[in-house]
Amino acid sequence: MAKRVQDKKPKRSKSAMAWLEENIAEQKLRYKAIVKEMDELAPTRARWYKEFLEICQTRGTNVTGDMRRKIAKHEVPKKPKRKDRVVY
Amino acid sequence: MARPHIEPYVELNQPFKKLDLNGFKGSEYKVLSLDVDTGACTLKVQFKNGFKRNPGLSYSDMELFVLEGRVKVGKETWGRGHYAFIPAGMAIGAMSSAQGAEVLLMFNDSEPSFYESDKNHQLALTQAHVSMNSYLDAPWTSGAIVQPAASNGCMIKLLHYDPLSEAITFLYTLTPEFMQDNISYHDCCEESYHIWGTSWMMQFGDLPTGGYFWRPPYINHGSFRSKRGCIAFGRTDSKIHNYFHFNPWSSQAENMARSAAHLYRQRPMMYDWVASDGHNHPHGPEDFEHAHYHDDAQIRHLHGHPPSPIKSK
Repeated sequence: MAKRVQDKKPKRSKSAMAWLEENIAEQKLRYKAIVKEMDELAPTRARWYKEFLEICQTRGTNVTGDMRRKIAKHEVPKKPKRKDRVVY
Repeated sequence: MARPHIEPYVELNQPFKKLDLNGFKGSEYKVLSLDVDTGACTLKVQFKNGFKRNPGLSYSDMELFVLEGRVKVGKETWGRGHYAFIPAGMAIGAMSSAQGAEVLLMFNDSEPSFYESDKNHQLALTQAHVSMNSYLDAPWTSGAIVQPAASNGCMIKLLHYDPLSEAITFLYTLTPEFMQDNISYHDCCEESYHIWGTSWMMQFGDLPTGGYFWRPPYINHGSFRSKRGCIAFGRTDSKIHNYFHFNPWSSQAENMARSAAHLYRQRPMMYDWVASDGHNHPHGPEDFEHAHYHDDAQIRHLHGHPPSPIKSK
């Protein structure tokens, strides 16, 4: 089952190399734009987190499938001091 | 660094570009994600009216999903919903599209490549080839393919399964008013393209029609909602396991440690064998959810440790 064809591939052409460089550069810009957009969403996201934790305590959190468990107040996680990060 | 975390990305307002690589002239593309080391990529491609090319092969595994239009491939005609997995080195017939077509095109091992040939490479694993219409020929089934499971209302059609990595390719749908109130992450990369409809995740907001993500392992996503439902094309790069929790602030590193803690508890023999070979956390990794699990009698027993001594008062 081992993949062997890939080991026999011809050397990458100049046009393929140029294509890669162009698109890697564009992807870097796209990534930066996504990070900026997600940073701007932070205040709204903070409200969503709050609502989510309220739901977990009232209707419950899904443990598996539709099985839910209400979490107790002492289980509610505390916001750490570090900046919240959603894009890595 | 492989592919970066691209989430969310809505491609509909982005322009197509000419794809001038050998075998793709007469088509245009957008990159959805690209592995900066290998060139492996997911593209949205438009085969323009009159696109034609001769039979040939790629040195990469290739997957194709038809979003709109028709493509003739050898003797087959691939229309909306057609899915194909073409193993590296397998020759496919001449391709053409009289009226044009729009597809998702994925190269799993390298940048797009094409070499004219009407014969398979002698090392091609042709038995892995799949060609089917996912809309017509595959049934919807429960999304509960693993435990812990997604909520009811998430349905999937399995299109491809890799027996070595357990990577899967699938269609999934969320029914209207779908909700799942937990946060999830996986050991695998996960990818999705929204064919139609909108879903919502607590970290990223709405993902509408044309929305896409490539998400590396151990990154929080969810809770989940879909007001009017959606249908999407999805893939993983290895076995998927749903790690659910309710800590919105856990980091990727903490999630990874928690997954290792799961392994310690749930596959103790495997954990011990892996941990004994060099690196180790002899008493189990940190788990932000169950900070003191190391002292649990059953967990200690699983790892061959004696029970905690009973302290006399």
